[in-house]
Amino acid sequence: MLNKKKILVFLSVLGPGIITANVDNDAGGIATYSVAGAHFGYSLLWTLIPITIALIVVQEMVARMGVVTGKTLADLIRENFGVKATFLLMLSLLLADMGNTVAEFAGWASAMEIFGVSKYVSVPIGAFAVWLLVVKGTYRFVERIFLIACTVFLTYVVSAYLVHPPWGQIMIDTVRPSFDFKASYLMMLIGVVGTTIAPWMQFYLQSAVVEKNIKVENYGASRMDVIVGCIMTDVIAFFIIVACAATMYAGGIRITDARDAAVALAPLAGKHASVLFAIGLANASLFAASILPLATAYYVCEGMGWESGIDKNFKTAPQFMWLYTGIIVIGALIILIPNAPLIPIMLVSQVVNGIMLPFVLIFMLILINDRDLMGEYTNSKTFDIIAWATVVIMVALTLALVVTSFL
Amino acid sequence: MPFFAGEIFVSEIYKKPVLDQTGEEIGKLKDIIVGNGEPFPAVTSLAVVSGNDTYLIPWENVNLFNKRVISINVLVKDLGPACIAPTDILIYRDLLDKQIVDINGAKLVRVNDLELGDVKGKLCLVAADIGLRGLLRRLGVEKRGEKFFSLFNYKLQHKLIAWHYVQTLEPRVSRLTLTVSGQKVSSMHPADLAGIISEVSQKERTAIFGSLDVDTAAEALHELEPHVQVDIIDDMSKERASDILERMPPDEAADVLGDMPEAKAQELINLMEREEAEDVQELMEHEDNTAGGLMTTEYLAFPPDMTVEEAIRELRLEAPDVETIYYLFIVDRDEKIVGVLSLKHLILATPQTLLSDIMTTPAKTLPLDAAKKDVAEFISKYNLLAAPVVDENMVMHGIVTVDDVVDFLLPTASRKKRRKR
Repeated sequence: MLNKKKILVFLSVLGPGIITANVDNDAGGIATYSVAGAHFGYSLLWTLIPITIALIVVQEMVARMGVVTGKTLADLIRENFGVKATFLLMLSLLLADMGNTVAEFAGWASAMEIFGVSKYVSVPIGAFAVWLLVVKGTYRFVERIFLIACTVFLTYVVSAYLVHPPWGQIMIDTVRPSFDFKASYLMMLIGVVGTTIAPWMQFYLQSAVVEKNIKVENYGASRMDVIVGCIMTDVIAFFIIVACAATMYAGGIRITDARDAAVALAPLAGKHASVLFAIGLANASLFAASILPLATAYYVCEGMGWESGIDKNFKTAPQFMWLYTGIIVIGALIILIPNAPLIPIMLVSQVVNGIMLPFVLIFMLILINDRDLMGEYTNSKTFDIIAWATVVIMVALTLALVVTSFL
Repeated sequence: MPFFAGEIFVSEIYKKPVLDQTGEEIGKLKDIIVGNGEPFPAVTSLAVVSGNDTYLIPWENVNLFNKRVISINVLVKDLGPACIAPTDILIYRDLLDKQIVDINGAKLVRVNDLELGDVKGKLCLVAADIGLRGLLRRLGVEKRGEKFFSLFNYKLQHKLIAWHYVQTLEPRVSRLTLTVSGQKVSSMHPADLAGIISEVSQKERTAIFGSLDVDTAAEALHELEPHVQVDIIDDMSKERASDILERMPPDEAADVLGDMPEAKAQELINLMEREEAEDVQELMEHEDNTAGGLMTTEYLAFPPDMTVEEAIRELRLEAPDVETIYYLFIVDRDEKIVGVLSLKHLILATPQTLLSDIMTTPAKTLPLDAAKKDVAEFISKYNLLAAPVVDENMVMHGIVTVDDVVDFLLPTASRKKRRKR
């Protein structure tokens, strides 16, 4: 009886953590993992365990802040660090998320091209579907669609299974850290870690937790949601790396993005593996493309004190609706312009993300240790040390990613 | 007596140097402390920071206070470091950047800036700036912003809310606005109030509810979603919770209690007045989404042999306690329903007519176990404002009013939107 109740509480709280972590495996994430597998085989698999831990440590704190304060991260930053910090942060987030959205639509377009659909058809349809889902759907409906999208990531598990990799070898490489001082290996390592924790995720997760009205008594279930989500994300990353390593690395094939990976899989592992890989990419891209603009519009408006909410319209919440619509339209248009400078755009967004991350994480640590806000729910001493260490390492690696992206 | 002129935005004087009599700088303005005021909170002292020390300077000792100069009439060496009491209300720390309720606009807004001004010779907090202009001022680009917008022929307006139309949300600060705007919040439409309550955090919710009188609280409560209702009741003292539940129509009170853990619900029912408690108890025994669960037990019932004149007199006495007075239900001695009479027919009839002569019979009735959907269809089909609910012996138990099922009659989309708030 007690167990049944616990499960029910978990199911009612489930959502924010799993969704946020899964959006992390967006077009950019899948591309990074594919290249990591194709170029370095199984030798980067071990990083997934520390990455999972880091992800859990950071996400748990934002979820906790959401549950305890009932306020979003943008609210808390505005109330505790003032207008200037908030304004700069929101401007940077807007810029970075704009670039990310472009990357998502690019991922969606390239996945659909594998199925022979022109980007001039797929991108407008995708953008419109994303816009409509949020404008016409209710929170619960949208969340359900998102949770279904999370399960589509399992296509990567099947893809990896279809290529018959050497499981024994893989298990050993997953738990045994290896290291290589080649510059290319280090850059890839930084890339894999750097794509894991993005500033916008913290804002999105906390807002979603607040929107769900999760009570402090049910915080345990919310933490499970975060942990399950983080583990699931990295399990998917694991299978993407495995699928690419077993085929392309073994065959010595070089790729540059996720689309290459899907195409390269066909002759090596059969059509099914390739199709599943492409479906996964299409799903991940569109999934992230629907969350990013929405999340951005939400926290920019929250921070600046403008009306927000998907049940509003252009008259009652003009800034919110224009931001949301604008990000989608501009993001989609950039893909459709022939010879648009996609790579510089994504580079800028990556740089802005990297510069912003230290501020967001440090603000978070200050807020979560504020007794006035968190009461008895501040970090414990031990956890605080782990959190600071994680933050310092993540910040260092993210900044390293920014530097290497210019090399 | 301090000298000040005109209005000052607090963002313009933040961290301004504070000078003593000799013109020596004693530190920077760190915060402004305000006390309770009617209707505007007056400045009581300034907090000035110099290195690690904080000085509190009573308002009486301030000489000049404006955008350019802040000076005091005591010497640095005469000031002892002071600490700020936890109960003090500080403008920068407690009010700036926080969310407040704009009572006229009935919505939540964020404080971009605050305006101080002269009220009967005292410097008081007079308004909150919630507009773009305030935001630009905080960013230090008000003038440039104005120029920029004038390029588009758009005049950047001040968007100020006078302090007496503000309700603060932080529990600690709420006493600043309580006395005056506590009533103002009560004057908002309960549905607007509920909209705001569902947007703020739990702590703030408790603060708002604490400032409402029992009747307004009861009205606002029933507009909220079930799980929010339960949260709010949970946070209140049991005595206040039972008072509020008493003021709600019994069917709504029963709904709220039905969503709570049984032990807690029973405890609250026991604290309620006996009559109300019995009604609620009875209603809770019916399934949630049936006529029995939806109905209220407060309605007008009269015997058939009463005259119109008597009925109208009775109506005046009973009307305040019932949800709807548009229908009078005619019941016999065994409480069996024999007919129904609309208010219109009652008023138009001559005083000596018997109710049995003008009532409509037989009355359209609903069984206790009718599903919500059937109830909605029934009310819609016969264009009723309320329908009587009876058991198998035609004994009347209550009425379902149209507002209990209006959600069900709306198209799905608008219903969802309503719930989401």
